Amino acid sequence: MSHEEEKVKVIDARGSYCPGPLMELIRTVKQSNIGDIIEVWSSDEGSQRDIPKWTEKAGHEFLGVIHEKGYDRIRVRKTR
Amino acid sequence: MKRILVVGGGTGGTIVANNLAHRLHEKLVKGEIEITVVDSSSLHVYQPAYLLIPFGIMHRNEAIRSERDLLAETIKFRQERVNKIDVNNRLVKTDSSSLQYDFLVLATGAQPDYSQVPGLEKGGYDFYTLENAYKLREAIGKFEGGRLVVAVAGIPFKCPTAPMEFAFLADSYYSKLGVRDKIELDYLYPLPRPFTIPNVAEQVQKLMDDRKIKTDLLFNVESVNPEKKEITSIEGETIKYDLAVLTPPHTGSEVVRVSGLTDKGGWIPTDRYTLHVKGYDDVYAIGDATDLPVSKAGSAADFQAAVVSTNIWDNINGFPPSLRYDGRVMCFIITAIGEATILLFDYEHPPSPPPPNFACYWYKLVYNRMYWTVTAKGLLPGFGV
Repeated sequence: MSHEEEKVKVIDARGSYCPGPLMELIRTVKQSNIGDIIEVWSSDEGSQRDIPKWTEKAGHEFLGVIHEKGYDRIRVRKTR
Repeated sequence: MKRILVVGGGTGGTIVANNLAHRLHEKLVKGEIEITVVDSSSLHVYQPAYLLIPFGIMHRNEAIRSERDLLAETIKFRQERVNKIDVNNRLVKTDSSSLQYDFLVLATGAQPDYSQVPGLEKGGYDFYTLENAYKLREAIGKFEGGRLVVAVAGIPFKCPTAPMEFAFLADSYYSKLGVRDKIELDYLYPLPRPFTIPNVAEQVQKLMDDRKIKTDLLFNVESVNPEKKEITSIEGETIKYDLAVLTPPHTGSEVVRVSGLTDKGGWIPTDRYTLHVKGYDDVYAIGDATDLPVSKAGSAADFQAAVVSTNIWDNINGFPPSLRYDGRVMCFIITAIGEATILLFDYEHPPSPPPPNFACYWYKLVYNRMYWTVTAKGLLPGFGV
């Protein structure tokens, strides 16, 4: 993952509650280029459930979750 | 003399001003305190009526009052447009005045922002202004059959329960007219469930399934084509409609944005417990204008108004603040004409709504009247919380 770090767009949505983190991700994906990786920092437990569902429906690639203390880093690649 | 300035004469601003006027009556009469409400409109609108007007359940004369008449006589009302709020110099500038304050309450609300979605304004109807609610009433009345789409076209928006209530009311309205079988009713929503709060969403989904309201979830409206009558989603779907009822995304008022008081979304960063605008102990924000993680709804503003008016009173009388906002919101969900349930929740406790029933619907209709005589008058802010 290290070579990808430079390309990652980080959305710090910690402290924001459902549907904040998902909505911020959707907004950012809309404004990004195909291939861009977007990482949402979310302290809302629902994000772990909602973001993969949206990513699948929208046809993007879900790259996984990195658990940090008090929040998650959820990664998505824009593919279309 | 202490000056309390309230910017915005909607639900939150009016309750704060009236409640303080009751509590501080003697000081106001003696000239030791001054309370001023400033708003560009002379009218106060009970916005929950917007949902009910399209179905003929409420009418214009039940939805509007004069703001001056609603405020206590001891409150000064200025019908002026606010141009700039300078919190560093405790100054609010309007078209014709420069108003100084000791306590400022920002109750500047939210408004539909159609510009965020191409085609949104011309593609369908909505019920987020009085004028639009009446246009929708006409459209609902003339609709003879086909696909009626109720869609949320962007988050956040005022009154999170309203779009699903609209779908339920449409189902009920056309069922009573005996034409429901001629109408395909679709509900499009941006999340993977038909409402933000998961346990409520489960109940809503069941009701929608029972009533043959088709739900298309994770549908984020990208654009609307008024000519082709099509709604396209960010996720790549296109849905055709004969009549569309579209909830526009909302944004905060322009004056707080141009005054540099908002985040990038147009909302005022607000301490979730004290309701201070972050960084300013003499400035409060309440209602739709805030970035608080609660519903943009009059009920939230009412509970917040109780906290702000109490804590300003405490300060003026030399006491420490005695209330904290706990995130409390109370919302009715009308699930049919003659049937409703109720949500009561806060930051820590999710709602546990009872099964839909007539009593809740009746209470909602009674509350629509009680708003003018109790709530807006500031007699029982936050139901006495």
